[in-house]
Amino acid sequence: MSSAQPDNPEHAAELLAKIAAEQSRAAFSELFRYFAPRLQAYATRQFGNEQTAMDLVQETMTNVWHKAHLFKPDRGSAATWIFTIARNIRFDLLRKNKHRQNDLSADDLWPVLAETNDSLDDDYALDNDLLMQQLAVYCEQLPKAQRTVIELIYIEGKSQQEVADALEIPLGTVKSRTRLALQKLKELIQHDD
Amino acid sequence: MIKFHPSEQHLVLYAAGELSPAMLMMVGTHVDMCPKCQAHVQDIEQHMAAKLFGETETANIVHGFDEQAMLQTIFSSQSPAVSAAQAANDSLFLEGQRFALPPTLARNSHRIGEWSRLPGKLWRAPVRVGGEEMLNFIYMGEQASLPEHTHKGNEATLVVNGVFNDEHNEYRDGDFMLLDDHHKHSPATQDHDCLTIAALEGPLHFTTGLSRLLNPFSSLFFK
Repeated sequence: MSSAQPDNPEHAAELLAKIAAEQSRAAFSELFRYFAPRLQAYATRQFGNEQTAMDLVQETMTNVWHKAHLFKPDRGSAATWIFTIARNIRFDLLRKNKHRQNDLSADDLWPVLAETNDSLDDDYALDNDLLMQQLAVYCEQLPKAQRTVIELIYIEGKSQQEVADALEIPLGTVKSRTRLALQKLKELIQHDD
Repeated sequence: MIKFHPSEQHLVLYAAGELSPAMLMMVGTHVDMCPKCQAHVQDIEQHMAAKLFGETETANIVHGFDEQAMLQTIFSSQSPAVSAAQAANDSLFLEGQRFALPPTLARNSHRIGEWSRLPGKLWRAPVRVGGEEMLNFIYMGEQASLPEHTHKGNEATLVVNGVFNDEHNEYRDGDFMLLDDHHKHSPATQDHDCLTIAALEGPLHFTTGLSRLLNPFSSLFFK
């Protein structure tokens, strides 16, 4: 047993993985007890209306329960993913009663909950040749261990499990190296004007 | 490389969902095309999430509802349908040419209205997104120009494909520019055509809702 709480990002991500893999009610209940009251406190301040606030909490957490498989740990934290769902639900709730035919829906703008073909190139819009060349330069600035993992995953197209097997290191290590490397790449991109 | 980006504040308001519908489409399309702003938006979302869920004063968190009942409701619920049922159309055909649409526009391709021809090798099609502002595709053929003009309120323009110039600069794919009502400009193309989208913006309400989550970080974000 670990004493980790859902405010620990690693632990929250593991809970989401359990919900996705085995519909674990225990894992969901743990996430729920952490996130739902915070969402509720926030939504009550936002809407000033108990019922709408509860709708936001319930719709957000219902999506977390059913759509946990859409969470991508390499892309951001569990908290950020849940925030983006709440943002989308709020956007739609604010428009719900207006019945204006042309109004945008949140899914049209931020496809957080779209079932995608989940390709890796989706993650950082790697489909741009120029960007690819630039990324290759950035990759060379990564520590060797991280670069190896990134090359195996993004260039050779291996899964994280295959990389773990090939390098004889734990899956968790592959995941954390991937995350750290992507973080580092993001910093390099942002600070390169 | 993209030279002109939305402001920090635009990205924050986009991440919070608090721009006008037309501006959400504009900024969303730029973000599709710009890896840098994409990474930036992810950071902003992360900050907002940290602010929302990082509530340390536990006194503020009232367990003021029946959590057990809601849990049971959720466990017995059906998987919610995603409302984006419209088939995304990722291409636009005009004057015998095919233009690839960035994902935000592709997901909303069903909102694109009829094209109409304007004087001077210009074409226009409305994008119906609701709200007070007008959102239009503007296509300029080669050697086309718009007479010098000003705007009531702000005008945002984004190059989807091609090149155009005005007195100040040259704008290419992904470039995003915002002109206020004091700004006069005369856009023109030379030996390249240009597909843009443009929003005429009404007054914005900057200080409400989710964007307030960022107030403690404003020194970081609103440089």
